[in-house]
Amino acid sequence: MEIVGECIHIISPKVKNAIANREKGYIQELALRQAKAGAHALELNVGPQKKAGPEVMGWMVDTVQEVVDLPLSLDTTNVAAMEAGLKRAKKRAIVNSASAAPERLETMPPLAAKYNAKLIALCMGKNILPTAEERINVALEVLMPRIMEVGLSMEDIYFDPLILTVSGMQEYALQAVETVRFLKQVSDPPPRTIVGLSNVSNGVPHEGRSLINCTYLVMLMAAGLDAAIADPLDKRLWEFIRMVEERDDSTPVGRLLLRLYDAVASMGELSPDDVDMSDPEQVAIYKTVQILENKVIYADSYLRV
Amino acid sequence: MAEKVEIPVQKWSGRVREVTFGATKDEGGSRSRTVTVGGEATLPFLHFEGEIPHPPRVAIEIQDKKPEEWSPLLIKVWEEVIDDPAAWAKRAEERGADLILLRLSLDDAQGEENTPEKAKSAVRKVLSATSLPLLVFGPGQVDKDNELLVAVAEEAAGERVVLGVCEEKNYRTIVAAALAHGHLVDSRTPMDVNLAKQLIILIHDMGLPLDRILMDPSTGALGYGIEYGYSVMERLRLAALQGDTMTQQPILVTPGEEAWRAKEAKVGEGVPEAWGDWEERAIMWETMTSTALIEAGADVVVMRHPESVRLVKEAIDKLWMKEG
Repeated sequence: MEIVGECIHIISPKVKNAIANREKGYIQELALRQAKAGAHALELNVGPQKKAGPEVMGWMVDTVQEVVDLPLSLDTTNVAAMEAGLKRAKKRAIVNSASAAPERLETMPPLAAKYNAKLIALCMGKNILPTAEERINVALEVLMPRIMEVGLSMEDIYFDPLILTVSGMQEYALQAVETVRFLKQVSDPPPRTIVGLSNVSNGVPHEGRSLINCTYLVMLMAAGLDAAIADPLDKRLWEFIRMVEERDDSTPVGRLLLRLYDAVASMGELSPDDVDMSDPEQVAIYKTVQILENKVIYADSYLRV
Repeated sequence: MAEKVEIPVQKWSGRVREVTFGATKDEGGSRSRTVTVGGEATLPFLHFEGEIPHPPRVAIEIQDKKPEEWSPLLIKVWEEVIDDPAAWAKRAEERGADLILLRLSLDDAQGEENTPEKAKSAVRKVLSATSLPLLVFGPGQVDKDNELLVAVAEEAAGERVVLGVCEEKNYRTIVAAALAHGHLVDSRTPMDVNLAKQLIILIHDMGLPLDRILMDPSTGALGYGIEYGYSVMERLRLAALQGDTMTQQPILVTPGEEAWRAKEAKVGEGVPEAWGDWEERAIMWETMTSTALIEAGADVVVMRHPESVRLVKEAIDKLWMKEG
C-alpha cells in the first residue's frame, strides 16, 4: 500500500495562512513530519488559486523540495498552476486530477503526458455518479480512451473511484469498494487505483475519523486498492496496513482485520461470529464495518449503541 | 384461467417500539384512556406481511391563545373556542382528535410575556377539559421553552405528557424534566437520518427509556419538500425493521403546521383563479400532506383543521381494514 501524505491541504486553516503569507516554515515542517512517518509521496493541494496559481504552486513545490525528496502529487483545478508545478518537480509527479468533466478531461491528461507525470483519473463527470456500474462505465468509456489518446501508459494511471462520507452519503461506501474491485479486473496488467481516504469520514467528529478511515482502507485493500491519499501521521493507519500485508494474526485485532479482508476479497461480509463481542476494540471495528456496509445508519455516536 | 400469484413476503428482523401516551388514574394520571402507537413489524399497512398492532393517530394542535398568525380559515373554523384553550381542547376532542397538542405562546393574549405560572394554568385547564392524552410544545425559543416546559412537567406530573421539542442544541433541560416527572419527549431533527438517530442516542444516554421517546424527523408540506421528509422517514423505518435499534422509535410529524404555512393553504387572495376554491384547496393540502406522511410511516400526525382530520381519519380507517 502506497500512502500519499494528505496534510498539506488548503482546507487546513494553518496551511491556507502559510500559503497566503508564503511562510515556508509550517509547510516544511508538515512535509518533514509526513516523510518521517513513512509517506511514499506528498499531496500538495493548493486549491484553485485563481489569482496567483502558477506562482503559488511553484513556490509550494520549491518549498517542499527544499526539505524532502519524495514524489509530489499536485492537486489544483488551475491548469496553469498545475503546469508550473510540473515544471519544477524533481521526481515524477502525480497530476491530481482528471475527470470526465469536459474541461478537466481536455486539459489534465495531455499535461501529464507532456511532463512525463502520473495521472489520477477520477471516476466522475461534472456530477457524482452513484453506482459502481456508472463509475466503471465512465472509467472505461471516457477516461481510458482519453488516456490512450494522449499517449499515457496504463501503469502511469491511478483510477480514483471517488470516496464520499459515511456521514450523509453512506450508501456509496460499498460502491467505491466495488468500483476498485472491477477496475482491477479490466486489463492485464490492471490499472492502479487510489482513493482520497479521509473523505469517507468528512463531517465525522475528529476522534471518530481514524477508525472509520482505517477500517475502510482494509476493505478497499481487499478489493485490490494500490494507494491512498491519507494521513500518514495516524499510527493506526500503518498498523492496520502492516497487519493486513504481513497477515499478522498474532493479536485479536489482527485476526479480525484478516477476516474482514478475506471476507471482502471473496465478496462476502464479516459475520458477527467472527467477532469477540466481549472485546471493545473488536466491537468498535465491527460496528464501523456495519456503518460502512450501510447495514446500520451512521450517527456521530454510533460506537455507543 | 386466472393465474395464482404468490405475494412475496419480507421477513424483517426488527420492529418499532411501542410508546404509550397519557396515564389513567390507576397509572398515576387522570386520562380516561391511554393511546399506544408503534409496534410495527412491517411497513405501513402491509398487514399480510407482519403485525401492525396500532393504527396511526391524529393529534389536533391548539394554542394557549388565539394564534393571530394562523390562516383566517383556521381562525374561522375554531372561532367559538379559539380564545379558550380548555374549550378548544374539548371541541378538538369532539372533532375526532386522538391526542391534543397544546402549543405554548411566547406572549399571552394581552401581549405580556408568557410565564411558568400561565403555562401551568393553561395545561391544568386543558387536562381538566379533555380526557385525551396531551402533548405540550414550547414556543420554540430555547430559554422560553426550557422555562415553560419545566413548569409544565411539574404541573402535569404523572400524566405521561409528551414534552417538545427536543433539538440537538436544546434537549437536556427538557429531557431532565421528563425524567423527573414521568413524561415523554419529542426528538426533533431537520430532515436527516443521521441526525435523527444521533439525537435519540443522546436523549437515551441521559437515562430516558426508549419507550418514552418519539422520533420527529421534521417534514415539508406538499410542494415544499415533502419528498425529502418522506424519504427520510422511509429510510428510518427500513432501518428500524432491519434491526437498527436507535431508529426503532414511533414517528411523530407536524403536517398541519407545514401545510398551513404553504401559500396554497394559507391565503385566498392574489393567487391564480384556476386554483379553485380556497377552503377546499387548503383542506386538501393538509389532508394530502398528512396522508402521504402516514404512508411513509408516521405514527402520529399533528393537524390543524377539523375537516382535514376527518378526511385523514377516514383514509386511515380504509387503509387499516385487514383482508379476510
